[in-house]
Amino acid sequence: MSTPLLQILDVTAGFGATTVLHGVSIDVPEGSIAGIFGLNGAGKSVTLKTVAGVVPARSGQVLLDGEDITRWGPEKRVARGMGHIPQGRQVFPELTVEENLRLGAYTLRRRDRSRYAASLDAVYDRFPVLRERRSQLAGTMSGGQQASLCVGRALINQPRLVLVDEPSAGLSPVAALELREVLRDVAATGVTMVLVEQNIAFGLSLVDTAHLMQTGTVVHSSPVGDLDDATLATHLGIGSVLGAATSRMLSSRATPEPPKKGKPRVRRTA
Amino acid sequence: MRRAPWILVALIAAIVLPPLIGRSALLSDTNALLLCRGCVMALAGLSLNLLMGYAGQVSLGQFAFVGVGAFTLAHVTGVTDLRLPWVVGMLASAALGAVVAFLVGLPALRLRGLYLAIVTIGVVYACSESLFIAQGIGGGSAGKVVPPPYVAADAISRNCDLLAVGLVLLVVMWHLDTNLTRSRLGRAFHAVKADERVAASFGIDVASYKLLAFVLSGAVAGLAGGFFGTTIGTVQAASFTYADSLGLVVIVVVGGLGSRPGVVGVAFGTTVLPSLLVTLFGSGIRGYDLIFNAAVLVYTITRNPTGIAGAIREARTKALERRGGEPPLPPTRPNLPSLGRPSALPAPRRAAAGQPVLAVRDIGVRFGGLRAVDGASITVDRGTIVGLMGPNGAGKTTLFNAITGALRPDSGTVTFLGEDVSHLPTHLRAARGMGRTFQLIGLAKDQSVYENLLIAQHLAAPYSVGSALSGLGASRALEREIRSRADQTIEGLGFERFASTPVGKLSHGQQRIVEIGCCLVTSPELVMLDEPSAGMSPAASEDLALTLQDVRDKLGRTVLLIEHNVPLVLGVADELYVMAAGEVIANGEPLDVVTRPEVVTAYLGSSYEEALK
Amino acid sequence: MGQVLVFGLISGGIYGLFALGVVMVFRGTGVLSFAQGEIGTAALYVAAYLINDQGLPWVVGALGALVFGIGVGVLFELLVVRRMIGADPVSTAVATVGLLLLITTIEIQYAGSTLISVRGPISQHFAVFGVEVTGTQVLGVLLALALGFGLQSLLRRTDFGLGILAAAQDPTAVRLVGVPLSRVSATVWGAGAALSVIAALLVEPGIGVFAPGFASQLYLVGLAAAVIGGLTSLPGAVIGGLALGLVEAAANKWFGQSGVHGLRYVVVLIVLLVVLVGRQLLPELRARFDTRAEAVA
Repeated sequence: MSTPLLQILDVTAGFGATTVLHGVSIDVPEGSIAGIFGLNGAGKSVTLKTVAGVVPARSGQVLLDGEDITRWGPEKRVARGMGHIPQGRQVFPELTVEENLRLGAYTLRRRDRSRYAASLDAVYDRFPVLRERRSQLAGTMSGGQQASLCVGRALINQPRLVLVDEPSAGLSPVAALELREVLRDVAATGVTMVLVEQNIAFGLSLVDTAHLMQTGTVVHSSPVGDLDDATLATHLGIGSVLGAATSRMLSSRATPEPPKKGKPRVRRTA
Repeated sequence: MRRAPWILVALIAAIVLPPLIGRSALLSDTNALLLCRGCVMALAGLSLNLLMGYAGQVSLGQFAFVGVGAFTLAHVTGVTDLRLPWVVGMLASAALGAVVAFLVGLPALRLRGLYLAIVTIGVVYACSESLFIAQGIGGGSAGKVVPPPYVAADAISRNCDLLAVGLVLLVVMWHLDTNLTRSRLGRAFHAVKADERVAASFGIDVASYKLLAFVLSGAVAGLAGGFFGTTIGTVQAASFTYADSLGLVVIVVVGGLGSRPGVVGVAFGTTVLPSLLVTLFGSGIRGYDLIFNAAVLVYTITRNPTGIAGAIREARTKALERRGGEPPLPPTRPNLPSLGRPSALPAPRRAAAGQPVLAVRDIGVRFGGLRAVDGASITVDRGTIVGLMGPNGAGKTTLFNAITGALRPDSGTVTFLGEDVSHLPTHLRAARGMGRTFQLIGLAKDQSVYENLLIAQHLAAPYSVGSALSGLGASRALEREIRSRADQTIEGLGFERFASTPVGKLSHGQQRIVEIGCCLVTSPELVMLDEPSAGMSPAASEDLALTLQDVRDKLGRTVLLIEHNVPLVLGVADELYVMAAGEVIANGEPLDVVTRPEVVTAYLGSSYEEALK
Repeated sequence: MGQVLVFGLISGGIYGLFALGVVMVFRGTGVLSFAQGEIGTAALYVAAYLINDQGLPWVVGALGALVFGIGVGVLFELLVVRRMIGADPVSTAVATVGLLLLITTIEIQYAGSTLISVRGPISQHFAVFGVEVTGTQVLGVLLALALGFGLQSLLRRTDFGLGILAAAQDPTAVRLVGVPLSRVSATVWGAGAALSVIAALLVEPGIGVFAPGFASQLYLVGLAAAVIGGLTSLPGAVIGGLALGLVEAAANKWFGQSGVHGLRYVVVLIVLLVVLVGRQLLPELRARFDTRAEAVA
């Protein structure tokens, strides 16, 4: 088994006097989608921010492809192949669609400007709406279009690892489902993803591996297919009563989605 | 008064010593004048400290108020003007300084931080470049002559005698400032500085206190200006500039924002230092002290924003910690003291039997196009714990804000103890017995646990400004009462070791406990808690559950609780409401509510598959 | 009328240039700097040294001043602003007050209050609306307009410039696309200082003499202009500067004879207060009007 693309090793982090993460460890194999779930305040977003480099880790390590990136700033992580799809619609509202994309390709263009045109075309092919609206101010587009722009802005830099923060937040159900399809397609091309999602049912339908967090620690990790309903309920910290109800709901609903475990998604690394 | 002897000694020393020393030739006339200038800067420093250090309002034009004081004295006492006694002139200086500061403070109610700073620069420029130069106000380019004060028929004109006057002023102001910081006024200023929303939730009328800070600061600055005019003899616009105001900022920031000794010390230091250096190193050194001061300001604000006073305090705490070792943790289950209603607060309305403590009807709140709360209704019965659950963004905290008055809902009514409070501001609802905590801890973080417990009792100590400043009258008994309540609460929480620790230095869970203590210290009828278990370990949340039951059973209070921790809510709540997307989607018996399908969906979300069908 | 227009535009252009510097720094780093203007004065001393004492051509002196000013701006960013990331904006602003005092006191130590003058780049005179103006003054107005309305599109041309524009909207998001925020910050502080130096070099109030604190006084009007223009808008800053210049010129014409001193400051204060308080009140009034309209309907 090769080294996971992303390794979070016993990371603690927090703000001021408060420690939010108490030793979080997560491995994300290349080509997979990892999901981090938990209730409010469980530490999901802080985990993601620590991986991004926005919140510094107080102890522990973050490894990208075996390399220790714990002390790197976010900019350097992006230059080494990390991409971000931030929560909600954090596009740059006063820049045009194409300017947003150009900024997204900042490190790609510095490395090798000649690859930009092809990369831009690829994003436009994936999201024709962005090509149509290339000179529109991003802030004036609809929520779903801004979400597409966020994804496009991350992909144009040709990242190996994409961090996705709350993809469904603030989107209509239809837009959320469209976004899920896009993320699946992206993953199918071999891009690794780490996803944080409040809407647990939605998140579970997208990821390969689920990491359940409670009060700053990962209390359970397993492939989605192996996830026992009762375990899910207990480890989310929602108690046995709501948990039992959850089990019933999840089992009545889990059928439409075939288990994704069989998909040959792992790309061979050289 | 315990401090009375000290102040008397200081006053007598201020009156007696300078004239004696001055006449014995130990203090030259020049040096006496220099010390007079030190008094001016110290007084002006105290005035800016009041504004910036206590109330957190930035003024980069404080010398405008100083100038107003100086020219007022000239007009009131001047031989070609009103020719009134010096004392009357000084009172007028303080009064006019206060009035002008009040006018400048009015936009401050609307403007925050830096905008206000820019306006104060505009004011000091308009004063020094225009107003103070105008013939009718500043006497044109010649300036205005200020006659010396008289004792009987003798003019006090020797500098050492004037120094006595200045020191008396300084001692009196020091005393008033001390009283201020130990009263509800000082605490209210600190709370406003720390967080206006938190201050309002403790019943502090933020707007009035901001204006009060300006008024008091303007009065002290006016006195400083009056005394300055007295020592200098002729006042001119060039003495009250932007640059002078910035020099004052150096004094206050380097001395330590909010620190009386620091500010007064640095004020005298920066005034005396230049001539001291010249005596020591010759006149070539002149001017370099100003460069040094500026550099110290940059260094202070970058590395050590609490100034000299803060650095000393920190060193002392560290020494204490080294001696005492790690402080023991407080007990996990506090023994809450059963405090009666504070004497100064109206007894809670006795709601008719069976009438709910809180009845919220059809509250609607819109933010732009978003309906954050959409027709929510909640009823809370006496002596119960009512839980409010719901996923992120459901509108729970917004509903809380609408209930406490922190925001005005677009529709709906709030009835508290049978009274419609929909149109009352936050602090009046608090006075009627509504207490709350915040999702992000609602405490003045830079203040100690004890101070926070006092701030929380703002409404329980409604004495006047005069009583607060003089330390006489109603303030004494009321302060004694709220301090004893604070002591009892600290003891009950088991926080004796942390009483003087700034709240920000405590752990998250400890801060939560302090916050609940602050909420309970005024014995509110209704206790509203916003996610009290957030950031707590599972064990601590179990203790919290016991504490909440104590609040209900031992103290007989009513609790409304926003909580994500489902086991905690199910363990303590008598009734449960669930919100999603701004609406109340379910309520009733907790165990029953959480098993309803719509609640489960709200909590765990949906995979949206249904939306396609 | 023509006189008011000409004088107003000339001083307004200078205010606009200072205001552009305010906006650059505020957009890039969210800090309001009180010191930048004085960097302009300090740079003038450098220019005076190079041009008057060393006899170098104006262009060389101006370049020297520019390099010096940018150096001070960038150094302050490196040594102070960078260490205060996350501090509240008021503290950082007080730090700039420290820099202002530092520069001013060093100037006083260096030059005393002796008046020094540096000539402008263009000495030809023109008559506009019957008012004699110099080429330098015209250049100031044109430059302010060009930068105010062109700087934004200029920035959009480069990736880094885009990063600067975006940093104002969301600094974290800018880092997450890989733009080095620390370089954005250093750049805008350098640019802000550069704009102050340019403005200071182009001031020609008839005599062209200066003393310590000279550019700060003009810069403060620029600060007010930037606030009036909304603090984040480059064109707004220039428009605010021109507006203040025009109002000041008009006030000078109508009240100048009445012997009121320092009219500029009174005018600026009044306009500033009206705009600020008005901006706060307007949405409230509008909301109140809306609810009433709703109630009627």
